[in-house]
Amino acid sequence: MRVGATILFLNGYCYQSYGWKRVRPLGELQGVIDSLEKYEVDEVAIIRPVREVENLESFRRDIDVIGNLNSMTPISFGGGLNSIEHIKLLHQLPIERLIFSSAFIEKNSKPIKFAQKLFGHQSIQALIPFRNREVFLSKENRFLDISKLDFEFLERYANEVILFDTENEGTPNSFQKEILEEFQIGKEKIVISGGVGLETVKFAKEKSLASALIENRVLHKEFSIRSYKNGRV
Amino acid sequence: MRVDILDIGSGNIKSIQNLIHRLHVPTNIVTDAKKISSDFLILPGVGSAGSYMERMRKGDFDKAVLEHVDNGKQILGICLGFQIMGNFSEEDGGVETLGILNGKVEKLAQHNGWEKLQFRSDELGENRFESKLKLTKKRNVDGRVFYNHEYGFVLDDKSAFNKYISTSYEKYSSMVIRKNIIGMQFHPEKSQKSGLELISMIL
Repeated sequence: MRVGATILFLNGYCYQSYGWKRVRPLGELQGVIDSLEKYEVDEVAIIRPVREVENLESFRRDIDVIGNLNSMTPISFGGGLNSIEHIKLLHQLPIERLIFSSAFIEKNSKPIKFAQKLFGHQSIQALIPFRNREVFLSKENRFLDISKLDFEFLERYANEVILFDTENEGTPNSFQKEILEEFQIGKEKIVISGGVGLETVKFAKEKSLASALIENRVLHKEFSIRSYKNGRV
Repeated sequence: MRVDILDIGSGNIKSIQNLIHRLHVPTNIVTDAKKISSDFLILPGVGSAGSYMERMRKGDFDKAVLEHVDNGKQILGICLGFQIMGNFSEEDGGVETLGILNGKVEKLAQHNGWEKLQFRSDELGENRFESKLKLTKKRNVDGRVFYNHEYGFVLDDKSAFNKYISTSYEKYSSMVIRKNIIGMQFHPEKSQKSGLELISMIL
């Protein structure tokens, strides 16, 4: 199982966040990635916490920063990938995997299929932010009942699914494990984030999940990533 | 020596360029088949086989790559770039590929993650080649490499050097070397220290 980190990134800067609400500036993306890479993090998911539909210019500004990243760590990127125009801007970026959220919740296959052609099916990740039994549709800035999710659609188009606990984000070992029972997809496709601590990493290993992405803690104690990987902090 | 990196519109060119630049070797992003001119060409690694081959043929890149190989110049295929070196891929309903290496590409359960890689250059036997730039005196890599794929390469060539992915994926090739042709299923550009060491030994 992989042990990685989630970084929130918007308007050129990285942030730590608590409960998907309170944010604290963290610094520039290259510095954060370099620190994590130094301690051999397995992967990094860069997520733009976009609320509602944004204009392409704001997206373009963040893309410029990502385009200049120099990293030898596997990177996933998403947040605001809603159209083919967005995907076209990603062509030259140093990223391997693309994270779609609203497109999966709304079953909008058009940008996903286009991305598959350019990056391959193996590169597509679905991000499902959740609290209790609700999932967050970022494009409309609102939560929907989990029953609105089409698991067959997720299984077909996503190589992996990131379950992000928005309520417990920033608080170690508080990830709502019960959510796994709601997801009718292979456990080997599931990545968890939000409220991940050492106990959650151990739980994820026991369940043979694909990956656990730690949020805040590894961003101000980068060295701890090795301890998470070895099962002790 | 400069390294040519083929860009036919699939993603992730920049990571490969960053890797080569870390070794202080100049690169050239090739978007026109007639402009492949270096002694070392990289076929980068993301996309789907059907659309990748369609773009290769449309731009006459397939012929240019075969000519490059026939002239004895080195080629490195990474992930999908490696898979299209075989004869056939099951992806996208079945695609005829370049046929530089004897083998076929089959669907496997998804494989995303890190695996150990131990490689010594003296394992290569008759497929041994001289590094042109001699960037390092290292002769072995003992580390880990990153994979992200849903299809695997099954080699059918006993004369080539063939390293398997792992005991769980022993049918599938991790790295194949046949004289001037090198294929890697993993992503050296995303394999941190091990990727850098391996490419510095090759260049």
